[in-house]
Amino acid sequence: MHLRLWAIGAAGLLAVLAIPAAAQASVGVGIQAGPVRLGGAAHPGGSYALPPVYVVNTGTQDESLSVRVERLSGGQGRGVPASWVRAGAAVSLSHSQSARIPLELVVPASARPGEYVSDVVVRGSAAVTDGSTNFGVAAATKLQFRIAPGIVAAPWFSLPGWVLLGVGVVLLLALLAGLARRSGLRISIDRELAGPGPLRAGRGNDVS
Amino acid sequence: MSRNVRWLLPVAALIVVGVSACGTHSPPAGAGKAASINMSLTTVPTIRSVTVSPGKAVFGRCSGGSAGLNTASTPSKLGYPNGQCWLGKPEPGGSFPITITNTGIASDVYVSGSNAAPSDDGDEWDLCNAGLHPVVTCTGARRSEPGTNQYRILNFSPDNKTYRFGLSDDPACDRQFSESGGCFATEGQFQTEGIELIGPASSSDTSTAWTVTITWMPVPS
Repeated sequence: MHLRLWAIGAAGLLAVLAIPAAAQASVGVGIQAGPVRLGGAAHPGGSYALPPVYVVNTGTQDESLSVRVERLSGGQGRGVPASWVRAGAAVSLSHSQSARIPLELVVPASARPGEYVSDVVVRGSAAVTDGSTNFGVAAATKLQFRIAPGIVAAPWFSLPGWVLLGVGVVLLLALLAGLARRSGLRISIDRELAGPGPLRAGRGNDVS
Repeated sequence: MSRNVRWLLPVAALIVVGVSACGTHSPPAGAGKAASINMSLTTVPTIRSVTVSPGKAVFGRCSGGSAGLNTASTPSKLGYPNGQCWLGKPEPGGSFPITITNTGIASDVYVSGSNAAPSDDGDEWDLCNAGLHPVVTCTGARRSEPGTNQYRILNFSPDNKTYRFGLSDDPACDRQFSESGGCFATEGQFQTEGIELIGPASSSDTSTAWTVTITWMPVPS
C-alpha cells in the first residue's frame, strides 16, 4: 500500500516537473548574417560553387533544416530564379547544432548580364502533428552575384592538376629533345643478340 | 667534350643556381631574431535567428457555424460555415500564448501561413486574405469571408489590434512587432501573439483533423 502511494507520488512529481519543460519547448533557426556572395563574375552557361551557408538550430527540439532561394528583402538588382541555385540536402540538427550547407549556382546560357540579388532562406521544421497548429521558423540572408556578358571563360588554372602536370611534362620533354637535336647529341642503341659467340650487331653506343 | 655541347654548361649552371636560391633567402647581416606574440580577439555573433515558443498548439474557444444544419462549432471543434477558433484572446483581458523572440542581430520579422492540410491528404484549404491587393482573394461574403475550401488566419498582440487583412502564404512584415507599422526587432526583442482562425464556408474534404503552419522569419532589414 505504501509502495503504491510512493509510486503515485513520484509519477505526480514527474508530471509536474515535465509541464514547464513542455511549455518552454521551442522551435528556432538561425543563418549567417553575412551575405552569400560569389567571388568573381559569373557568365551565362557557367556553373559555380557558392560559399556554403551556415545554419544553426536555435530551438530546443530536433529539427530538419532545408535551404532554398526566395526574394524577400529589398535592394536593387534582378531577382534570382530559385532553379538557378542548387542547395545541399536537408540536415537534421538537434539543439544548438550547426551545419554548412553547400550551394551551387547554375547560370543558364540565356541569363542577362547585371547584378542579381535574392535571399537564401533556411526553414526549420519539427515533427508535424495532425489536427494542430505548428509554428514554423525560418531565417534569411542575402544572396548577391554579378553576371558578366560573354560565354564562360574557363581559366587555365581551373584545369585539373593532373592535366596541368601532364602538359608540363610533355613541354619539358619537347624542350629537351629540341636542345639535344640542336647540340648535335646523338644516341643510338644497339641490341646484342644472345648467343654463344661475341657477335656484335652494331657499332655500339656512339656519342659524338 | 664536343664544342656543340659546351654551350649547355652556362645554361645548366644558371638552372642550378636558380633552383638552389629558391627558399634560401638569408637575413641581412646584423638582423635580430624575429619574435611574435599571439593575441586573441572576441567578436559579437553575426547570426540572424528567431525562436518561437511553444512549437505547436491547438485551437479552442470555437464558435459560429450553423446549428440548423448541425454544423455549429463546439468549444474545441470548428463548425461550418465560417466558424471561428482562437489561440489566445485579444484585449481586453487578453492572453497571448505564442512568444516570438529575435535571438539574432537586428532584423525585420516576417510572418506567413500555409494552406490547411487534412489528415487524409485530400483537398487543402487555401489561405486567403483581405485588403487592396490580397495574395489569394477570399471568395465569401464581402470578399473578406473565406469561401469553399478557404480559410483565414489573423494575428493579434497586446500592443496592436488584430491584423484584419490576415496572413498569406507570402512572407510579409509582422506588424505586431512595431506600433509604427514596421516589423523591426533588435536582438532579444520578443513579441507575444495570439491567432484567430476563420474557417471555410464549406469543405470538399471530410477530414476532421487539419494541420496549419505559421512561420516567423527574420530577414535583412
